[in-house]
Amino acid sequence: MLEGIWKAFGIGRGRAAALEDVDIAVPRGQFVTLIGPSGCGKSTLLRIVAGLLEADRGTVSVFGETVSKATAAKHIGFVPQSPALLPWRSVLDNVRLPLQVNRKADGGAARNRRDPKEVLESFGLGKMLDRRPAQLSGGMQQRVAIARAFVFDPTILLMDEPFSALDELTREVQRHELLKVWQSNQKTVLFVTHSVAEAVALSDVIVVMSSQPGRIRAVIPVGLPRPRNQFVETTDEFHELESQVRFELWGAWHGDDET
Amino acid sequence: MATTRPEGDRATGELTSTKERVLEAPGVDGPIERERRAPRWLHPRVWLAPVVAFGLLVLGWQLYAVHNPYVIPTVPEVLSQIGDKPGFYAHNLLVTLQEAVVGAGCGMLAAFILAVVMCHVHVLERALMPLAVILNVTPIIAIAPGLVVAFGFGFTPKYIVTGVIVFFPFLINSLIGLRALEPQALDVLATLHASRWEVLWRLRLPASLPFLFAAARICLPLSVIGAVVAEFSAAGQAAGLGALIETAANQADLKTVYASVLSLAVLGIALTVVVVLLQRRMLSWHSSARSR
Repeated sequence: MLEGIWKAFGIGRGRAAALEDVDIAVPRGQFVTLIGPSGCGKSTLLRIVAGLLEADRGTVSVFGETVSKATAAKHIGFVPQSPALLPWRSVLDNVRLPLQVNRKADGGAARNRRDPKEVLESFGLGKMLDRRPAQLSGGMQQRVAIARAFVFDPTILLMDEPFSALDELTREVQRHELLKVWQSNQKTVLFVTHSVAEAVALSDVIVVMSSQPGRIRAVIPVGLPRPRNQFVETTDEFHELESQVRFELWGAWHGDDET
Repeated sequence: MATTRPEGDRATGELTSTKERVLEAPGVDGPIERERRAPRWLHPRVWLAPVVAFGLLVLGWQLYAVHNPYVIPTVPEVLSQIGDKPGFYAHNLLVTLQEAVVGAGCGMLAAFILAVVMCHVHVLERALMPLAVILNVTPIIAIAPGLVVAFGFGFTPKYIVTGVIVFFPFLINSLIGLRALEPQALDVLATLHASRWEVLWRLRLPASLPFLFAAARICLPLSVIGAVVAEFSAAGQAAGLGALIETAANQADLKTVYASVLSLAVLGIALTVVVVLLQRRMLSWHSSARSR
C-alpha cells in the first residue's frame, strides 16, 4: 500500500529527512500499528496516507486508488490526536458531520452508511446524544471522534495516537472499547501509537520504526487469537510480544551497536 | 484467569459509574443551572455594590450641582427636562439610534464579507490591510465635516461615519475568529474532501461567532459616538441627540445638554444589553456566554 515513501522537511542545509524509503502493506480488514520513538515520522507517514501531506517520492495507494481519489470518495476516515469535536454541536451532530459534507461522494453503490445513533450506541454513548462535547470526559470525547470516523463507512481508518492525551486508566478502558468495536466491524486500520501495550493488544501487525531518518526497523506479526478482551494482557504470549516490541524499540533508540 | 475476571469487571464497573455520577451532577445540565442562577440576581451580594456606587455618583453630582448651578444642572432638573418632553427626546434618540444601527450594521457586514474574502485570498489581505489601517488611524472627527460637504445634511454622511468607525475593529475580530479553529478539526474536514464553502459554513462561521459578538459589543457603542460626532458637524439640521447637544450648548441650555447626554447613555446601555442577550442565546456552547 505504501511504497518507497521519502519525505524531508525544511529547505537548504537545514533540510532533514523525516522518512526514508518506507514500505508498508496494510491488508484489508487488518489492524496495523506503527510504533516508534518520537520524531520517527510515524505521524508524518499517517498524514501522507490521509492526504494532509505529500510525499517527496514514492507512491501511496488506498486499495488501488490514489489518496486524492480516496479522500474525494470519502474512503479515508481520520481520527486525529485530539478529539477535535465542534463545541457548538451536540455529540450526535458531531457524528453526523461527515455525512453532511461532500455529499456527492455518498452516491457510490457499495456504501454501508450507518445510522449515527446506532454507532454511538455501539460505542456506549447512547445516553450522551444531546450533550455538548464539553460535558463529556476526555475518554468519551475521543470515543465520539472515533465514532465520527466509523459512521460513513470508510475503507480505511487512520488513527493518530488517539489516546495519547488521556490518563493511563482511561486509556486502558478506551483501548478495550476500541478493541470491542473493531472486532465487531473488522475495519482496515492504520494506527499510530507509542504505547507498547496498546500496540500488542490491538494489532494484527506491528511495524516498529526507528528515527532520524524514519525507517522501518521490524515488522512483527501479532498471533494472539481473536476475539481478544482485556484479559489477553495477562497472558504469557502477550508479555512475550511486548518484550519483543520493546527490544526493537530499544534498538531504534540506541542503534544496533549499543544493544 | 478465572480469578482475575470478576476483579477486572468490578474495576471497570466502578470506573464507569463514577464517570456517570460526575456527569449527572447539577451544574452540567443547562436548565438546572438557569434555575439556580435566576435568584442569584436578587441576592444583595450581587446588586448591592453596583447600586451603592451608582447612588454615590448621583449624590456627588447633586451636591456639586446645587453649589455650582452655572456649571451643571441638578439631577431632578435633568430628569424633569426629559419628563416634560418625552416625545421630543424619544424622537431625537430614535434618529441617533437609526444613524448608529444602520451605519454600524452596514459597516460590520462589509467588514465581515471582506474578512471572509481575505481569509481565503491572502494576497487581498496583504493588499487591503494597510488601507484599512489608514482608515482606522485617521480621526473620524476629521473626516466628518468633509462628508457633510460631499453628502449634505441628510442621513448619508452619518451612515458613512458610523460605518467607518466600526469597520476596522469588526474586520480584525472577524479575521481572527474565522481563523480560530482547531487545526485538527480542519484536518478531519480535509480528509472528507469538504469544499471551502463547507469548511466556511460548518467550521469557520460558527467558530468565529464568539469573536463577532465580542466585536459587536465594542462596535455598537462606538457607532453611537460616530453618530454624535457626525451630528456635531452637521448641526443646524436639528435632529438627533448630537445635534441637540450642539445647538443647546450654543445657547447655554445646560438642562437640554445633560438630558441628551443621559439619553445617549441609555441608548448605549440598551444596545449593549441587546448584544449580550443575543450572545447568551446563540453562544450557549461557549464559555463567554456562561461566565457572565
